[in-house]
Amino acid sequence: MTDASRVGRVLGSQHTNTQEFRIVLEDDEYVQLDDLIVVRTDVPKAGEVATYGVVTEVEAIYEGASYESDTHRVAELGILPAAKVRSAQVAVTRVDPETWVSPDPGQIASRATGAERAKALYTDEMTRPLPVGLSRDGEPAYADLDFFDGRKGGHMSISGISGVATKTSYALFFLRMLTANPQILGEGAANLRVLIFNVKGEDLLWLDKPNADFDDEAAEGWATLGVAPEPFPSVRFWAPPRRRSADVIVPDTGGRQEGVDVFTWTPREFVDEELLRYVLTDASDNRNQIPFVRERVQQQLRRFALDVAGEPGAIVLRNPADHDEADAGGARPEPHEIVVRDLPSLVDAIASFLEPENGGEPDYVWGGKASGGTIAAFMRRMHYASNQLGHLIRAGESRRIDRAKASITVVAIQNLAELAQRFVVGALLNETFKQKELSGERLPLSVVVLDELNKYAPRQGDSPLKDMLIDIAQRGRSLGVLLVGAQQTASRVASEVLENAAIRVTGRLDSAEAERAEYGWMLPSTRARARLLKPGTMVLSQPAIPVPLVVQFPFPPWATRKEEVARDAEGDPFEGL
Amino acid sequence: MADIFVESWAPEYGSPLDNDEQLRPAEGSVDHTVEGVAWSPIDGRDDGEAVIAFVDGVQRVDARLTIDDPEQGPVPGLCGTIAAGATVWERGVPVSTIQAAEVERWAIVGSGRSESLPVIDLHPGYRTTRSSSDDPAQLMQALGDLRQAAERRIAARLAESCSVIVDGPVHERSPVTVGCIKRHHVTYLEPAENRVVGRLGSGQRTPLFTISNHRRYAWYVRLATLRGGHSWTGIVRCETPAHVPLPEAVAAADRTAALLPAVASEPHLDPRAPQNLVPIAALERELRHLMGDPGLVFRALRAAVHAEAS
Repeated sequence: MTDASRVGRVLGSQHTNTQEFRIVLEDDEYVQLDDLIVVRTDVPKAGEVATYGVVTEVEAIYEGASYESDTHRVAELGILPAAKVRSAQVAVTRVDPETWVSPDPGQIASRATGAERAKALYTDEMTRPLPVGLSRDGEPAYADLDFFDGRKGGHMSISGISGVATKTSYALFFLRMLTANPQILGEGAANLRVLIFNVKGEDLLWLDKPNADFDDEAAEGWATLGVAPEPFPSVRFWAPPRRRSADVIVPDTGGRQEGVDVFTWTPREFVDEELLRYVLTDASDNRNQIPFVRERVQQQLRRFALDVAGEPGAIVLRNPADHDEADAGGARPEPHEIVVRDLPSLVDAIASFLEPENGGEPDYVWGGKASGGTIAAFMRRMHYASNQLGHLIRAGESRRIDRAKASITVVAIQNLAELAQRFVVGALLNETFKQKELSGERLPLSVVVLDELNKYAPRQGDSPLKDMLIDIAQRGRSLGVLLVGAQQTASRVASEVLENAAIRVTGRLDSAEAERAEYGWMLPSTRARARLLKPGTMVLSQPAIPVPLVVQFPFPPWATRKEEVARDAEGDPFEGL
Repeated sequence: MADIFVESWAPEYGSPLDNDEQLRPAEGSVDHTVEGVAWSPIDGRDDGEAVIAFVDGVQRVDARLTIDDPEQGPVPGLCGTIAAGATVWERGVPVSTIQAAEVERWAIVGSGRSESLPVIDLHPGYRTTRSSSDDPAQLMQALGDLRQAAERRIAARLAESCSVIVDGPVHERSPVTVGCIKRHHVTYLEPAENRVVGRLGSGQRTPLFTISNHRRYAWYVRLATLRGGHSWTGIVRCETPAHVPLPEAVAAADRTAALLPAVASEPHLDPRAPQNLVPIAALERELRHLMGDPGLVFRALRAAVHAEAS
């Protein structure tokens, strides 16, 4: 501890304790919020104990001024002698060695730098410290990867107001740190796969392009973090087909068409993977008897579905009793049978069992004992869904999203209706989770980034999608499925999902929201500040450190809008003309 | 017919007008013609003096002592702490700082006894002095004298470099310092002259007058006109030793009339407003603080004396 790092002394006019203390500053020194402080105390019989802490508030006062108007007497007229005293509140982060005593009053308080800083932030104890941002002192702040990749904890939850909280930006920054540091990630780095849903705008469709606005200041930040400021090297973009595009399959994206693959499911895949469950995901669908009908229909679909000869992906629904060996290479549809080539035809085929055209009773095998009303409600929802997401199901060659093709898979669902968005998210999460469940292995790691988590796992109500997200939150860490969930308001997200996130991050919060119990991990001072955080500044909490850290992350080197795409990266088509 | 007024000072501080007939000077000893001007209000004039020091002191009785003499019977004594210092107002900056503060602890034993106090673990420690009397009031007076001596020392030192205003009367042999007396024990002037005091506006003074047996120049200054105040509300008496050349005394009088209203206290903030000057009040507060916690001092005293006895 050098004299140069000395900033003040521990205040002696009020009690110090093991959680917080105040320091009174030297005249020619200052500290600001988030600065790290160390105080050494000689403890009788125990020896020297270092108390580390983070500045949570800074204050100043005229000592000797007893009335508000004394301020004029001191500062303007100069007739009242008073001492300007500046002090800082410090929240204890660590006591080393672990002798939990309060720092002595009058002890010298110094700035914690270098090895002291690492101790204050527990970086020295982290087995795999991953840079997760820059602290205000410009140095990297670290998180212990053991608490993200499932060894000791998993998942990350990011909250904050849309637009200014930069939730997605932080998630991407974190992913870049994760993917650019294979030496830290260790064995999990091999075949790490990330699935990101682009739910708003087309922010995520340019991750592979350099950002034209990237400047020297940002470059400095990235240099400090030890990561080359480059766009994501391995990204694939997937989008649903544009509706009513007839036989020409075009991705449903605006600004970017090239390099975007179209994904769809064939009716065969729809049936085999039991995707019907993710069609009816509205919380209200789980009331009454609809889930019963859905389960029954799903079951029957698997039993009845037969491939159609010469039409890959298409199916007909035929009673298993009538299946014969000749159908093995594909059945030839009977004239009365409906060939299922898309969702509308599947709905028609199901309707032929549940709502026979002759006005007869629903087929017992398909409808069970469900009442006519329930069946009608089910069919009504199926018709609505077929209208909303019909274009996602089509026979023909398989256009499934192949996550093996790149380490980062971006799925652009921003142009889909909410019902269809939920369907895609549900289907893909289901696929990811099922794969890992089957393998039973934690590695390779699979990271899923999902914004607007409140839509998929709302606090109120039940849905198959919510159940799955809770399942991922609870069991995902042992299966290597890690959820990076983002939401505007944590209070609207299923608590099981939030509680299982080991790393919690918030950007700017609405002031009423900041007071909620979901943000109890923040210090009162951090809560108050959460209302004022600027874009690019986040509060991060992790189990390894008992106080939340305020971190900043540098401007991204990848484009987040079409206008940001660096021109030379696009290639000027008119060049040379 | 005179009017009735309620004094602005809080009652526990008495009244700024505490007439004491015994101290009334002999007839004719007041000379109100020394300045050689008409006896009427004079506007203050700020000569731009850059640094003004306000000197004051405080005292406290820490403990009463009794010397238990088997033959003569008990002899009284007391332990006291005094503190003196200055608020130095640098008008150019402007800023005030407390300077030259001193703390002394004294044990005063009565009847000329030679006993002295054991060493006590306090900073500063107690020094012992003797008083010939065994009257408790005289012991208090001895403590007050020690305080005044400290004040005078500080004032003399500061007077070499700046203009000094002391709280209370000045000693006739002091260097050029101005005493500022907030409480008027005595009405020195004749009715005709007294009327002028009543007519003083804020920032005005009376001409100088001398009190023959006091060997000092004196003048009245009005610090403020308070709402609901009587004609002597907000008046202080200032004085400077008579050995000071008259022009210097006049300059000091002009300066005090111009500057004291600026440092006068506000009635809603100070129970002795406006006479208890802001720099003096702050100084007293600081000096009391420097004297240390009375409980701790008392405990240390008892512990030390008890240890010696056993």
